[in-house]
Amino acid sequence: MDKGIKYDGYLSEKELAGAPGVPSIDQLNVKPLAVIECIEPIPCNPCERACPFSAITIGDSIWNLPVLDANKCKGCGACIPSCPGLAIFVVDMNYSSTSALVKIPYEYFPLPKEGMEVDCLNRKGEAVTKGRIHSVKTTATFDKTYIIGIEVNKKFAMEVRNIRM
Amino acid sequence: MKEDYVVCRCEEITLQEIKSAIKQGAITLDEIKKYTRAGMGLCQGRICSTIIIEILKEHGYLPQYSAPPHSRIPVRPVKIWEYIGEDQDV
Amino acid sequence: MRKVNLVVVGAGPAGLSASIEAAKHGVKALVLDENHKPGGQLFKQIHKFFGSEQQMAGTRGYEIGTKLLNLAKEYGVEIKLNNRVIGIDDHNTLAIIDNHKYSEIRAKKIILCCGATEKPLAFPGWTLPGVMGAGAAQTLVNIHRVVPGEKIIMVGSGNVGLIVTYHLLQAGVKVKAIIDASHKITGYGVHAAKIKRAGIPIILRYTVNRAMGTNQVEKVELIQVDKSFNKIPCTQISFDVDTICLAVGLSPSTELARMIGCKLYYHPKLGGYIPMVNQYMQTTIEDIYAAGDMTGIEEASIAMEEGRLAGLACAISLGYISDNAQSQKALENIRSNLSQLRMGNGKGGIING
Repeated sequence: MDKGIKYDGYLSEKELAGAPGVPSIDQLNVKPLAVIECIEPIPCNPCERACPFSAITIGDSIWNLPVLDANKCKGCGACIPSCPGLAIFVVDMNYSSTSALVKIPYEYFPLPKEGMEVDCLNRKGEAVTKGRIHSVKTTATFDKTYIIGIEVNKKFAMEVRNIRM
Repeated sequence: MKEDYVVCRCEEITLQEIKSAIKQGAITLDEIKKYTRAGMGLCQGRICSTIIIEILKEHGYLPQYSAPPHSRIPVRPVKIWEYIGEDQDV
Repeated sequence: MRKVNLVVVGAGPAGLSASIEAAKHGVKALVLDENHKPGGQLFKQIHKFFGSEQQMAGTRGYEIGTKLLNLAKEYGVEIKLNNRVIGIDDHNTLAIIDNHKYSEIRAKKIILCCGATEKPLAFPGWTLPGVMGAGAAQTLVNIHRVVPGEKIIMVGSGNVGLIVTYHLLQAGVKVKAIIDASHKITGYGVHAAKIKRAGIPIILRYTVNRAMGTNQVEKVELIQVDKSFNKIPCTQISFDVDTICLAVGLSPSTELARMIGCKLYYHPKLGGYIPMVNQYMQTTIEDIYAAGDMTGIEEASIAMEEGRLAGLACAISLGYISDNAQSQKALENIRSNLSQLRMGNGKGGIING
């Protein structure tokens, strides 16, 4: 039984279900959304400012957890590189009839190349499936963090959080 | 054979020497320093005092009773020629 | 002897923020630092920082360092590098080794921002080459661009251990595992998650039993510990490593504060004995202030706010701004930033690895 991020280093099912920044599967099935895997109070709020649609709320105390408003979120990914904890992802469940697109923050060299097939790792660092690199993007505002888009089988969309080449 | 290793690297004082000092009644950082010379070397105890505090704790002597020893000039290693102002090729 | 109004010892986040704040109000601040580059530990922090906009959150540590240096320059702060302060007497005279030459400076006010040193962990073999502080490993990879070894084990799952592991992974080093004697990860979960999803094992309730090797570390033997940190016999496991990084905490550098007779008190969560300071970051000696990690191990964001508080308080007590409702309000604003960062817990709200 998973005990939680402070014991295992990855979020348990229970923690994921209770995270105010993680949308439900039903919401994710409708449109691309940010998945904010932030469950521990940390004095931090850059994601709130980063969202152009005010979909992320932290509020007066910077110790509050980010709350995602799935109605306002457009899954643009502007919040991904803003998170110092690299804990924000974007999941598009309906990228194709069989595959989903998972966008992850990435800060390692060498970078993957578009079209490349890679091992997709879950939160525990285990290779769970193969995926195809859809995009590798950065801009000056990302401040050297890259956003990697990975096309994976739908059923792994809420598991895949890293890649290995 | 008892487990032994160097605790204070500057003065080469070993774990067994610290333990025997504790047995003799040196139960604070300052007392151990005076008894064994641990912490009197170049680094002035910056490294070993943490380790000695841990050893004392294992013997039941709480860290709060080991206030840091007196600090005297120079608090950083200084070469004599720097101190007296002699020129030297650096 | 040179006489100045304000000397700040240490050009890290606290010292730079203190001098900038004082200089904003017209105090000519002189900053002394023993290193050949300013910024303290900021320039080896290549990750993005937590915090709010005020503390430049989301910005990488080294960029915060650059921003502080630019501000210091803008306000005319004088920074003297390669200046080791080796002592202070009770007339506020600082004894300095200025680029290998002895000199003295007298100051009306002194702000000590001496930072902290890494704590060691002793075990048989800990003096072998290859055992080093996590901070030292971080300096090697991020400042000198040299990897400390090829196969590393990290001891300590606090923020320092987790962050340095991440930096080592980014540098292409193989990290075999992170271990901690505690039953839970002591650093932030998000930092742990980055390491975990890279496939690095996090092994809890284990400590180092011994390091083995002839001329350097070749192997590390770990042993399980119980709830009271006693070693459990016959639970040894070992890893082939050439480097053991120790991230087991920091201890505040209080030598100068002790030399002048500042009162210290014991606070285990903040790193041990630390100087007592009041709401102005003033120590028990009137002209001596202290800020940053030497008054308790916390985050860089807190060090910066503490530095600002000390800098502003010195500007007031030196008479550069009058002590009125307005200046008290400014002090109160910084204090409220601090308590926000600490979630109202006072000193000790946030503990670094």
